[in-house]
Amino acid sequence: MASHMASLSDFSAPRSLHPFTLVMQFIRSLPALLLLLAPTIIRGSAGETRLTLTFALMYAVITVPLIIIRYLRFRYWIEDDEIVVHSGVLTRRKRNIPMDRIQNIEIQQSLLPRLMGMAQVRLDTAGSASSEGQLEYVSLNDAHAIRQTVREFQRAEQMQAAVAQTGQEEARGDTPEAAPLAPAPRLSTDALQEGLLLVAPDREPVGPTAEDADDASTLLFSMPPLRVVLMGAYRFSLLFIALLLSATQYLQLDPEEMADLLFRGPFQEAATVIAESPWLYGSLVLFVAAVLSWLTGIITTFVRYYGFKLWLDGDKLQRKHGLLTLQEGTIPLQRVQTLILRSNPFMEWRGWFRLELQTMGYDVDEQGYHVVVPFAQREALVPVAENIRPLVLPDAFHSVSPITIRRHFVRYTVALLALVVPIAQFWGRAWWGLALLPFLGLFAYLHYRHHGYATTGNMLFIRRGVIRRYIFAVPLDKMQVFMNRASIFQRRLGLKSLSVDTAGSASVTYPEIVDLPAATADALLQRLHTRFQRYFRARRAGDPPTDLLSQAAAEAHGAGRPADAAPGTQQAAPEDEDTSLERANGAEPPAPEAQAEPSSVSSSRS
Amino acid sequence: MLLSFANLDTSPTPSSAPTADEPEHSEPAAAEPAAVPPESQAPAAASPPTDPAAYEHMRTLHPSAKSVWMIKYALFTTVVVLGIGAYEITQLFSTADRMLPVGTYTGTVLALGALITIGIPLLRYKYWRFTLMDEELFLERGIFNRVRTVVPLRRIQHLDVSQDVLEREFDLGKLIVHTAGTRSADVVVPGLAYAEAEQFRDDLRNYITEDAL
Repeated sequence: MASHMASLSDFSAPRSLHPFTLVMQFIRSLPALLLLLAPTIIRGSAGETRLTLTFALMYAVITVPLIIIRYLRFRYWIEDDEIVVHSGVLTRRKRNIPMDRIQNIEIQQSLLPRLMGMAQVRLDTAGSASSEGQLEYVSLNDAHAIRQTVREFQRAEQMQAAVAQTGQEEARGDTPEAAPLAPAPRLSTDALQEGLLLVAPDREPVGPTAEDADDASTLLFSMPPLRVVLMGAYRFSLLFIALLLSATQYLQLDPEEMADLLFRGPFQEAATVIAESPWLYGSLVLFVAAVLSWLTGIITTFVRYYGFKLWLDGDKLQRKHGLLTLQEGTIPLQRVQTLILRSNPFMEWRGWFRLELQTMGYDVDEQGYHVVVPFAQREALVPVAENIRPLVLPDAFHSVSPITIRRHFVRYTVALLALVVPIAQFWGRAWWGLALLPFLGLFAYLHYRHHGYATTGNMLFIRRGVIRRYIFAVPLDKMQVFMNRASIFQRRLGLKSLSVDTAGSASVTYPEIVDLPAATADALLQRLHTRFQRYFRARRAGDPPTDLLSQAAAEAHGAGRPADAAPGTQQAAPEDEDTSLERANGAEPPAPEAQAEPSSVSSSRS
Repeated sequence: MLLSFANLDTSPTPSSAPTADEPEHSEPAAAEPAAVPPESQAPAAASPPTDPAAYEHMRTLHPSAKSVWMIKYALFTTVVVLGIGAYEITQLFSTADRMLPVGTYTGTVLALGALITIGIPLLRYKYWRFTLMDEELFLERGIFNRVRTVVPLRRIQHLDVSQDVLEREFDLGKLIVHTAGTRSADVVVPGLAYAEAEQFRDDLRNYITEDAL
């Protein structure tokens, strides 16, 4: 408490940023100067030199004073319940950020600031994609003090809210939103045995990061450096192509000269041999590309995820990672929408997975998703996820209609023809491209095999993707809009696609079940939204069921099968009946499907 | 304990999982039909079977919506036809050989435009259905892509009623339902009588809850 008071008093008067900001801003403006001077540096012709020198002078007259004035204008301080930031040279901005609105305080240290003990603080509030307030740079101690102040303010606020809530609950019988979202930390023994999970509930967290995680937090997940390397080994990054290209651009290298340089002396003979055989050449290129992408994958992963740590601090997740740039961030559990398990064929083969969270409201970083467990075996990952949402992974997924194989094959074929036919007009050999057709067929089949849906507990699971594999876990209480769609082709084949929308950032791959038999899609849609409503009615009554969806997928899957499809009206009957019944009674009838544990998911963890 | 993830790929062969579900499901299905409310039983045979709001009972849009859409398409067609017509007139005086007789492009565009202007609004109107239930808003629409949307009322973030110039002439309005979703964040019900759109908005307003997330 004493430290809290001290930090608060430190920030109560207007402060400027750390003077280091000046240095950093200057360094940051240098690329622009270099760009202006580039022609002189590279060519050095006399006529242009005068021009560039003029530019450089303008730069010195305008940019440098601007940096200094901007620094002098910048003031921030913390008042009773808000952070005030005054900034701007020409347009002056006065910004008041209420502390109870701050969702995320991210402390980021890129390499140079990190060496100097400086940090950049970003304050994110709900409802804005971009950062509300940015303090760059303050000393790391100040950054932590600011975060501590905000946290303590929020904690006090929550305590008051909780007191008020209990008072209200007695009057209304309402339950707080956060209740099902913040389960007590649960850690399985096998995960502990694996040595990945360290629990430090009542003492200072271990390691060099003790200063930023306060006493209430629990370390959920951490990655030793070797594990990070292993993770990189499973990721192929094509970044090296960009690096090579920009290097040749920037250094103005001649690729042929480079090749000559590389293949001097003893390599010369090998080079001629290789150049003579196109097959050897081709496979060598592929091999080198594969090795390079593998290596870049390892390096980029290592730089990014080095020292990854994830804590649970009350109702927030905190994570910290990075080798050169150190990133720290907070994810409020309330904001978590969909859980996403990602892998690729190699990872899945060895049982590795990665857990991402789709969150709502701020920070469109990392394509809108937050990686909370970058790389872990399933046994280690599930207990961590349990702290975020109750999670029972299904052991079997229902397939969509096999007609989807045909549809995908046709789609790929059309794409291939669109590519091959025009090229073949000029280059007859392009017809050989049609030899890819069997592979397209195989890919279409794999697509079918890796697409599926299932439900356990209160979660809908959707699995998609052949190369990049996603398993979306959509919690019932986070669903927003339910949708069925059937294109003109799908209708001809009696198919429909079902998607469930959630709040948060959009991405390319989203949870959609494509090409379900129409009856299944309708039945599943029906079940999802009626149980969604049932969940919220029950929650208002104070006791939300935890296995509302457990049977839904199986029932819907049954509804779409030809044997069942004939008495179509009866499919609707039970569900229709129980909703109308509920409405009539205004209460929760005993769910018939809740008693019979589904056979496909009965082996769930206890 | 969970099975390994590797099994997820291989296990759901079409025979294993579904046969397990079947007996559990067929039992309530056989027992229940007697309890179905009579009014939903009759149309259910013809409509999508699992729809709680039978398609036939769903509301259509206001018929004037067709006129509004037609006028919009007609305006658009006119602009395009004028553009192409102007181009063809300039080509009249060029000396180059013409492959097609004068007015071919204009004629084609005009014919297509007329087809779209008349056809699309009629079809769109024909397939637009919606219904407001106790707890959700049902929409069914689409000429080529048939979409059914269920918006739970407790997910509504805020509501708008909008009216453009044309709609004002016909006293129509759009109801726009905003949710926190990402891909279908705004659900639009076009072509309602303006007073009715406002009525819907006021009715739905009561459902806006604080914990929409």
